[in-house]
Parts: sequence; structure tokens; C-alpha cells
Amino acid sequence: MSGGAMSGGQGPAAPAGLRLAGLTRWFPGAAEPTLDRLDLGVPATGCVALLGPSGSGKSTALRLVAGLDTPDDGDVLVAGRSLRGVPTERRRTAMVFQRPRLFPHLDVLDNVAFPLAVAGARARRARTDARRFLDLVGLADLARRRPASLSGGQEQRVALARALAARPDVLLLDEPFSALDPGLRTEMHELVCELRAAVEPTILLVTHDRREAAVLADTVAVLLDGRIAQHDTVSGLYTRPASMAVHRFLGGRNAVPGTVVGREHRSALGVLRLPPGDGPDGPGTLVVRQEALTLLAPGDPSADVVGTVRDVVRTGPRAAVEVEVSGAVVVCEVGPHDSPRRGDAAGVRIPLAQRHVLPDVPGSRQAAAEAAARPADSSDPTDETAGARPA
Amino acid sequence: MTATPAATQTGGAPAGAVASGRVAVVEPVRRKAVRGAGLVVAAVWLAVPLVPLVLWAVANRWSFPAVLPTDWGLDGWRGGLRQGAPAALARSTGLGLLVAALATPTGAAAGRALALHRVPAARVVAAVLLVPVAVPPFAVVMGLSQVALHLRVPPAAGVVTVLAVAAVPYTTYVMRAAYAGYDTGFEEEARSLGATPRHVLLRVHLPMVAPALAAAAFLAFLVAWSDYVVTLVLGGGALVTLPLLAGALAAGSGNDATVAAVSVAAVLPPTALLLLTTLVARRTSRLPRLPRRSARSGAVGR
Repeated sequence: MSGGAMSGGQGPAAPAGLRLAGLTRWFPGAAEPTLDRLDLGVPATGCVALLGPSGSGKSTALRLVAGLDTPDDGDVLVAGRSLRGVPTERRRTAMVFQRPRLFPHLDVLDNVAFPLAVAGARARRARTDARRFLDLVGLADLARRRPASLSGGQEQRVALARALAARPDVLLLDEPFSALDPGLRTEMHELVCELRAAVEPTILLVTHDRREAAVLADTVAVLLDGRIAQHDTVSGLYTRPASMAVHRFLGGRNAVPGTVVGREHRSALGVLRLPPGDGPDGPGTLVVRQEALTLLAPGDPSADVVGTVRDVVRTGPRAAVEVEVSGAVVVCEVGPHDSPRRGDAAGVRIPLAQRHVLPDVPGSRQAAAEAAARPADSSDPTDETAGARPA
Repeated sequence: MTATPAATQTGGAPAGAVASGRVAVVEPVRRKAVRGAGLVVAAVWLAVPLVPLVLWAVANRWSFPAVLPTDWGLDGWRGGLRQGAPAALARSTGLGLLVAALATPTGAAAGRALALHRVPAARVVAAVLLVPVAVPPFAVVMGLSQVALHLRVPPAAGVVTVLAVAAVPYTTYVMRAAYAGYDTGFEEEARSLGATPRHVLLRVHLPMVAPALAAAAFLAFLVAWSDYVVTLVLGGGALVTLPLLAGALAAGSGNDATVAAVSVAAVLPPTALLLLTTLVARRTSRLPRLPRRSARSGAVGR
């Protein structure tokens, strides 16, 4: 036996919750901490995505959970137990990296059998067990192939099977699909959803792909500059971003400065009623997703605001239409059936439930103005491939 | 460099490279022919000196004008046996293995440190490691033999130590190149899957660098195997290896057949080792093994 490192790994995984408590990492010589008192919980059998741009510290967080790096402060708890001082191999936190890292000297089956083999199981038993997991990812046919003969998607499937074969308490996914083609990525997302249904692992996923986070995770924590800016459901994040930074990171394009008076937002767009419980009185910026808006024909009585089409940017089947409303600009996403032209008069409906006001904090007014005045010819931030490209 | 970019594509065929630009435009068939010719030239280059040696080893008599031996036989080998060739062969093999056993792990450790870690003054360290190659061995050995005498170092131990030091530059260079292309992420992955540091070493790290280790060990073995000066001076005649025996026979006996037989015996073990290391390198290489199942299984997951 190997010191009982994985001795509990023989039976089915006992789903365990994961908690990051005040996790702080300050690399020597850095001006700012990479992670600043990170608090995050992943319920047992749940999946939480840590979503952030490159350099936001999300991979550092994962390495701290896996024990591949040591936090300067804070703790990682699995099923309520602290992992402080526990070496990586005894944490039961299997990791899948962006590169599949299948051991080149082992065939596919022995790669998947690796976790059980190092836990002390006999080769035959480890292989029998590995076949089950290969089956689970649909690659039983490739058992005796060498990793080098696999495609990128197949490699990542094997890597997933291998990680699950370790019976981890928590499965850590570090941008596992961002090197794959978009079509293949969608396939892998479906696979992960199937695996979640089949083995119910607890998953902490790190990604910079908003779509991936939305598809795979129950809740999404947005990590900006080493801090969690917001942890919410996907619809919560998009409709009610906690800050302008979150709104902009998620690709929100509408931010109209104004003032809130008695549950109404007053701005260049006019007076817009707000949903219950939104926004205290005072200066505040109206944020609303461009996807939530509807472009209407001029004269349509259901229009909330009326203006002139300033620009139309096609991004495939959809297009971003910029409508100028008495000096302010509203961006509205339309489908292939809509083809407005520059200079057309148009109405825009802004559904009540989609309106959200961020109370102004000093300096945010300028950020809002920048967001609103972002040039139309820049790459569309809602495009998933643009979002998936590392900076 | 005046070579055109296209001309460099014929790399691997020395004959083609010399022929310059004209080769660049030839069709693949001719390029293949050029490469084949280059291989033949290389083979002849290596084999020609061995031909008379092999012939002499099976010649009882070979008088001057004859093209081939005038009397065939194994007298040379019998002579070699009488002169203690088997013992010399065993000593040479032992020396080679010992030097390889010392220089390979040292080179691996140094190579890994230089390639993967921040070594203070890495350039200086690399230069110091190269010194034994740059300085002629007899110059070092003449000085060292005095020191060894004073310190009463056993001759064999002195020879092994000096040859191991001489072999370390080669092993370090081979291992440094290997570790430069080595991703330590594999080790992190293994640990996250439950492998202890010992498992990581035995099941991931060593298998992944095995081809380079084999190559480095082979080089270290050769350094010891083909050494003459260090063994002669530091060993003080106490350690008679194959090169020493062959040298003594060639200088003294005048029995060409015996010298040839001993020399042929000296060629065989490294050749066997070369084949072995090549096999190790091929077996653990990342080249895809032919799939056992039909190609249709390749469609899965695509």
C-alpha cells in the first residue's frame, strides 16, 4: 500500500462540500496580493464556476485548493475539515488542467487506472475499474491506444475519466476545454453535464469563458483582481450585476447614468420605472443587458424609448444595433429577421424586470460613460470566441 | 549562412547540403535518393576501418601482397584469451557500468536543476561543467596522479572518480536538453491523482525521461570504455582494461591477429549497448503505436 494515500478511494466517492475561507496568496515581490481573502463555498455534488479574466488569480485559487501552492493566509476546507498541511496526494482533489497531460508512456487504459494503481490496487483490478470510467466518457474502444494517437477532445475525455477514477472529494477543472474548438467544447460541456448526473462529483471549475460557466455551473463567482466581485446564479449575474466592473466583464453594453427618485430612473432616456426593491434614491447608473432589449418599429406604442439607429454591427446571425436616444446610446441585440439601417427611427422596449440601477460610487460615473461610449467597431464582447481568447 | 531556405530542407543528407541550391528544387524522389546516398557514405565511413580489423581477427596469416588473409583461423582469438582479454573485458565493462552509474544520476540532477530551476549563475555552472571536455585529460591526470599518490587513493577508485567527472558534462547536456522539454505539470497531475513523491518518481518522472537517461548512460559508459590515458596514468598499470591490453599488445607483441581480435572484442559491447538504448528509446518514445482496433473507433469523441 502507498501509505494509504487513497485508501478511501476504493468505494464510491462521498460527495463533500468545499469551502475556501479567507484564502490569500501574495507572491513575493508582487505589489498586490494575487488572491485577497477569497471566500467561496461549493455545496456537495454542486458545481461552482470561478469566472475571471486572465491574471485574476483564478488558477492560483485552484492550485491552493489542490495543495500545489501554499496560501499566505486562510484555509481550504473539504467536508468541514481543514486541508492545512495536507499534501496534494492526500487531499482527494483531482485536477484536470487545460493540457490533458496524459502520461505518454502509459496507454489510455493505464492512464485511467493510474489513480487506483498508486493507491495500491492490483493492476488487473485497477484496469477493470478504469474500463468503467472509460465507458463513462465513451472511449472504451480506445483503451489500448497511446495518448499521442488521440485527438484533443479524446485526450480531454480520458483526462476527465482519469480524474474521476481517483474518486475525488472535489473535482478541480482548470480551463479544461479552452484549448478545444468551439464545436468540440460544446460536446465536452454536454459530457460534463452527463458525468454530473452519473457520478455527482463536487466541482470547482475555473474558466474565463462566460458561456462555459453558464452551461456547466449551478452558480458563478466572478473573480476580479483577486477578489470575488459577485457570486450568484447566472441570471442573477447578468440581470443584477453587483458592480459596473462585473457588468462590463460579463459583456454588458448598456450603462446610462442618471438619478433614482422614488423607484424611477431619470436620465437621457427619460423616466423609467424600476422593479421593486431596486436602487436607493440618488445618482445611479441604469444597466440592462443588450440581449434583453427589443427593437421596435417606429411608432410602436409599447416602446419605452424612441430614437435613431446610429450603427449596426453584424456578429453572425445576430447584430448589435446602437440606438441614439437624445444623446445617450442604447445597444440592442437583434436576430437575423431584423435588419435596421443607419438613420432609421426605432423604438426600444426595456422590460421592467431587466432594469437594474447601480448606485454611483465616486469615480464610477466616468466608468459608466466609458462603457456607454465604447466604439462600435471594437470586437463584440458578447461574442463567445472573443471572450474565450486569453489576453 | 548563404544556404537558401529550400536548401536547408534537405537537411540530414550531407551530400545534398553540399550540392546547394540545385538540390532544393528536385522532386522528393531525388531528395530521397540523395538521403540514401548519404546514409551509404556514412555507413562506409564507419565500416571501412573495421574491415581489415575483422579480417585480421580471423587470419592466422596474411602476407603482404595478398588481398585476403592467406591462412584463415582463430589463432588471434586464442592469443587474446591467453593474454587475459576476458578479464580485461570484464574490467572494462565494470568500469563503464560504474562510471555510468555515477555520472548518469549526477548529470540528471544537474540537468534538471539547470533546465527547470533557477540556478544562481547558471552560465558559470554550465561552463564549469564543460571544463573536463575542454581541458585535455592527460594534462589533468598528470597533476591528479600526484595528488592521488599523496592521498593514497586506491588506483581503481581514482580512475573511476576521474572518468565519472569526465563523463558528467555529457550526461548533464543530454539530461538538460531532455528536461528542457519536460513538463513538470505531469508530476503535479500525478500528485493530484494521489501519487506520493516516490510514485511520481518511479511511475511518471523516470519513465518519461528514460530514453534520455539511457542515452546519457551510454555516453558515460563510452567515456570509460574508450579511455586510455586516465586508466594508464592513474591506474598505474594495476587496472588493465581492454584499451590498455590492446595498446600493450600492439606496441609489444607484433601479433596483429591478437590485437585485431582484442579490438573487435572492444567494439562489440558498445554496439550491443547502442542497440539496447535505441530499443529503450523507441519503446518509450511518444510515437503513436499502431491501434489494435479499426480506425473507426478514432471517430469517437471527435
